[in-house]
Amino acid sequence: MKKSVSLCLAAGIILSAVISQFLIYFYAPMEQTLGLAQKIFYYHLPVAWWAFVSFFFSALFAILYLVKKSQRFNILSHANAEVGFVLASLTLITGSLWGKHSWGVWWTWDPKLTTALILWFIFASYLIIRSMPMPKEQKNNICAVIAIIGFMDVPLVFFATRLWRSIHPAVFHSNGTGLEPEMVHTIIFCVLSFVFLWFWLVSYRKQQLTQELKLETIKTKLLYEEEQ
Amino acid sequence: MIQTAFLLAKKDLTIILSRSAGLCQALLLGLLLIFLFSLSLQTGEVLSPHSASTMFWLASIFCQVLIFQMLYAIEEQNGAKAGLQTLPCPLQTVWLGKFTAGIFLLFVSQLIFIPAVFVFLAQHLGTHYFYSLLGIFLTDVGICACGSLLGALCVGQSGKESLLSIILFPLLIPLLLSAISLSSVGLLDLQNSFVDITQIYQWLGIALAFDCIFSAVGLILFPYLYHGE
Repeated sequence: MKKSVSLCLAAGIILSAVISQFLIYFYAPMEQTLGLAQKIFYYHLPVAWWAFVSFFFSALFAILYLVKKSQRFNILSHANAEVGFVLASLTLITGSLWGKHSWGVWWTWDPKLTTALILWFIFASYLIIRSMPMPKEQKNNICAVIAIIGFMDVPLVFFATRLWRSIHPAVFHSNGTGLEPEMVHTIIFCVLSFVFLWFWLVSYRKQQLTQELKLETIKTKLLYEEEQ
Repeated sequence: MIQTAFLLAKKDLTIILSRSAGLCQALLLGLLLIFLFSLSLQTGEVLSPHSASTMFWLASIFCQVLIFQMLYAIEEQNGAKAGLQTLPCPLQTVWLGKFTAGIFLLFVSQLIFIPAVFVFLAQHLGTHYFYSLLGIFLTDVGICACGSLLGALCVGQSGKESLLSIILFPLLIPLLLSAISLSSVGLLDLQNSFVDITQIYQWLGIALAFDCIFSAVGLILFPYLYHGE
């Protein structure tokens, strides 16, 4: 990533974070029943949405890797999976904290919660395989397959768990959001402004993985030359 | 392709069923799970059909993990994997062959687990058992389609038992939810005898959707997992 792009992203992250905090604590009204604890919603929803976006891109780049066999797509799929995993972990933590306050339990059986947890488990196993010692091409293929089938499983998990039982609130549904307009503006800004941080994390991780691959290639080349 | 797949399945079944420890190990594990859970019941206590069917599927999926490890280990142990990779037919044939052998072995195991659930967990047959049988069939197709794909993933890996389980179990959640719901309607519920037929069809739909998606995904992605280095 170019230094100028990196600086622009850093400025975007800081600026959007400052504006988000202002909107969350001074613009959006306090929720009457949940009080201050409701503010966690403005962190929970952006991380949850961007986690799903990351997993979607991970699956998409995995398909491209299997078709084109380009290391670039493999690295992009890997970077998105890692970022998605971190964001999904944050989603589960913030969701649990919020759930404890609003429902009185840390965890409950619900389509959205369960879907997020299942995705977390699938990508946790993806990362375990990434760290396992095995031939590189085999590992890349296995991880690509897991990223694809993991993401394809999401709608099924969601429908199955919704049929089972659900208490999670729907934020956006056909009758509107059920939120005050200030709350809607704030949440939309929070979700959109998260793009800077998400893009920076994915790009930074991609850069690291590319460097790692280059180093490995140099190391292999040197070892080969030594043997000669 | 189909004929070769059946030949592969026949070969695998002949090898596994001729071994004394082959399927018995998986069967014993499943039976032990059901028996150990029955220890949690007090004398005269009746377990709900949902809990009983959960135990049945828990035993089945642990058994399935062992079955697919056995099926893929055959070629690995004898260094014959290259033979399968160079078969003059698409690699999907191997997936189909392992799937056929796996589903047969799973059906055989479940023929033992079903009476065990009735005996150890004190269950009685209900009136809607046809839906349960259909549910068991659809679920077995789904878990074997998934198992046949992911079994190839763990070939030659250390700690493959746990590796296969951690990848497979989260993926199977929607299918297992449907399987548990469908199996429990076939058991007599003394607390609540109402059965919602519409919901049964919805569960059957989810199981069918899972089977279609994972069979298609298995056929498309299997060559990427099983091809030579």
